[in-house]
Amino acid sequence: MLSLDFAPASDGADYWIRVHRRAMACRFEVTLSGEDAHHVPAARDALDEIDRIESSLTVFRETSDLVQLNKAAGHAPVAVDETLFGLLHLCRELHLRTGGTFDVSTTPLSRCWGFLRREGRLPSAAEIAAARALVGMDAVELDEAGRTVRFRRPGMELNLGSIGKGFALGQVAARLRQHVRHALLSAGGSSVLALGGRGAGWIVDLRSRQVSRDRLARVHLRDAALATSGAGEQFVEVEGTRYGHVLDPRTGFPASGVLSASVIAAEAAVADALSTAFLVGGLELARRYCADHPGTLALVTPDDGSERPRVFGQCPGASLEGA
Amino acid sequence: MNLTPEQQELGRRNFLKALAGTPALAALAVGAAIKGPVKGGPVRVGFIGVGGQGRVLLEQTDPAYADVLALADINPLSLGKADDVLKKKGLHPARHYAEWKEMLEKENLEAVIMAPPLWMHADIASGCMEAGKHVLCEKMMAWDYPGCERMRETARKTGKILEIGYQRNYNPIYQAAHEGIVKAGQLGDVYHSRIVWHRNGTWRRKGEPPSADYDPSRWGYPDYDHLINWRLYWKYSRGLHAELASHQVNIVNWFFGAEPEAVVSSGGVYRFPEGGREVPDHVYTILEYPHGRTAVFTSIESNAYDHYYEAFYGTKATLILRGETEAYLFDEGGGERPTTVDVTPKGSGPALDASESRSAEAAGSFKSGAPEKIERVAAYRLEVSGFCASIRTGKPLLCGPDRAIGSAKACIRAAEAVEKKSTRLSV
Repeated sequence: MLSLDFAPASDGADYWIRVHRRAMACRFEVTLSGEDAHHVPAARDALDEIDRIESSLTVFRETSDLVQLNKAAGHAPVAVDETLFGLLHLCRELHLRTGGTFDVSTTPLSRCWGFLRREGRLPSAAEIAAARALVGMDAVELDEAGRTVRFRRPGMELNLGSIGKGFALGQVAARLRQHVRHALLSAGGSSVLALGGRGAGWIVDLRSRQVSRDRLARVHLRDAALATSGAGEQFVEVEGTRYGHVLDPRTGFPASGVLSASVIAAEAAVADALSTAFLVGGLELARRYCADHPGTLALVTPDDGSERPRVFGQCPGASLEGA
Repeated sequence: MNLTPEQQELGRRNFLKALAGTPALAALAVGAAIKGPVKGGPVRVGFIGVGGQGRVLLEQTDPAYADVLALADINPLSLGKADDVLKKKGLHPARHYAEWKEMLEKENLEAVIMAPPLWMHADIASGCMEAGKHVLCEKMMAWDYPGCERMRETARKTGKILEIGYQRNYNPIYQAAHEGIVKAGQLGDVYHSRIVWHRNGTWRRKGEPPSADYDPSRWGYPDYDHLINWRLYWKYSRGLHAELASHQVNIVNWFFGAEPEAVVSSGGVYRFPEGGREVPDHVYTILEYPHGRTAVFTSIESNAYDHYYEAFYGTKATLILRGETEAYLFDEGGGERPTTVDVTPKGSGPALDASESRSAEAAGSFKSGAPEKIERVAAYRLEVSGFCASIRTGKPLLCGPDRAIGSAKACIRAAEAVEKKSTRLSV
């Protein structure tokens, strides 16, 4: 049958629509399959949510809730809104669950290593010790009744960079879910959240600049989140030794031993935080955590020349090929 | 039309964003899908006039749709070059004729694709249809209005299909722009269109005749120069209005849903008078449409900075279609919106590449996420295939004689207004 058809293909299923905007120094993106083109306005509305989250959580704007908190909470309890309080609560819980490897209070350490100004340097032992004294999520008091936050040590600072993107994706997804069944959300590629997923789910290739292989694994995701952390994005090299920008709050030194850590979990914020924790805590923490917390799947690629991720645990809605 | 790369990117994204959620987006993303194979087999086709433009059409002829059996041209050099095209495409050779009538008599053709000089269009197209052939005739429709009417009437009388070669009608960008932007009202009220085709250089071609004793005078050309440079002489040509403007006026008529009521023209042979050139090398024309809408056409041969484009200036937004390959949309006063929309073919890869965090500039994939580029000549392929599809299935043509005649009429009057130094002529 000869036909010349200028109408759309039967259902538009052979192209992606990517709705995206810049936020949190990366690209936030909602991917829709062609047949869901009518959801583009909903995707745009949902992405607007990020501005609100960023203006509250960023440390780069004087007016943000977090900056105000950092300035005042060392002196007296500071009341915060429900969203920020809930997020800090989650941070403290994850801090406990990961043996202190996930910690949003490492800013003084990052500063002494020069990572805040992107001018890495090797600090002295005394400098590290001084910075460590100001680090520790266990020294952040959260008062449920008054919804207040207080730092037990003046000079402490919180930075939500290791959980903020995942948290934002969760908020965007909550909005989107009211209208859209299938969408794939991404923040800079390091935080990914699958809403629904036709067939076997959204296909996501897991890559890393730390390894020479084309991809570490192919993941099928349905209603699950994937987050990845790597050591090599920012580093300082001193006398032949490379120090990555992710610091181990337990030692005050950059994390080592893991090239790349990915976590699949139901919640994007949790996956985001755990990927950082496993980069710091390594294979052993990932193995233990995934055993103790069903619904968590980790792919951790150790710095042992193998370039192969070790896989721990399982997550409903996620399946792997080629790992 | 010169935009910075950033403006181009913004305009292109705006265009796609505005199409999002409309069927036009899908048409753009997948291109105009043609499904084969052909029921009834490829259409048996002969070409008349295989000069430069005829060979473009030959090159873009899909053998699944058309079987090229014969070529007719009064210039043996053109026939030789057309042979090369067929050979390069891996197609069987076609028989040669100098006379198109002889070709029609001797060949068992169903259709003719023709691109001879403009002054021959009406005679050849009408003759072909009267001989029972469907016709795809290169634009402009005919040298004068009675010629256009004769072609349309012959098509009606014989029941043969007549398509005029305005390839923009088959270009998915124009389809998408009309469906998703213009018809959807995204431009607001449009009072003004600017259509521009600027080049820097002479239109005159140089060439040696096929042999020392070659004499084209029996076909109406006193010498070889008049044959290869027929565009430069009023007897054969309507100059820049026919060869360039008529494409763009065709689009303005389509997008305005109207035809011009009057034209005002100025122009002359200002830069390249040598060789007795008659048609202007600079023309400036105002086309007046109903309801206070105006299009301005300029074509110059002294500066190519603006290249060629069709722009529509609406109360809500500006749409620019440039070089038949790019579309830009700019909101009036809207400024840059932070959210953008891209469309990418799915292919066989993943929906997304996940990795350690990437900077804001990095796209969602490691590979380029740019939409497929529209190939300019692909529109010719769709045009030829669409013509053949129409023959086999009766599918409606995308331009057709009625639409083509509207553009021809205005461009003929615009050329006359320059030639006769008239200020304003009603169409």
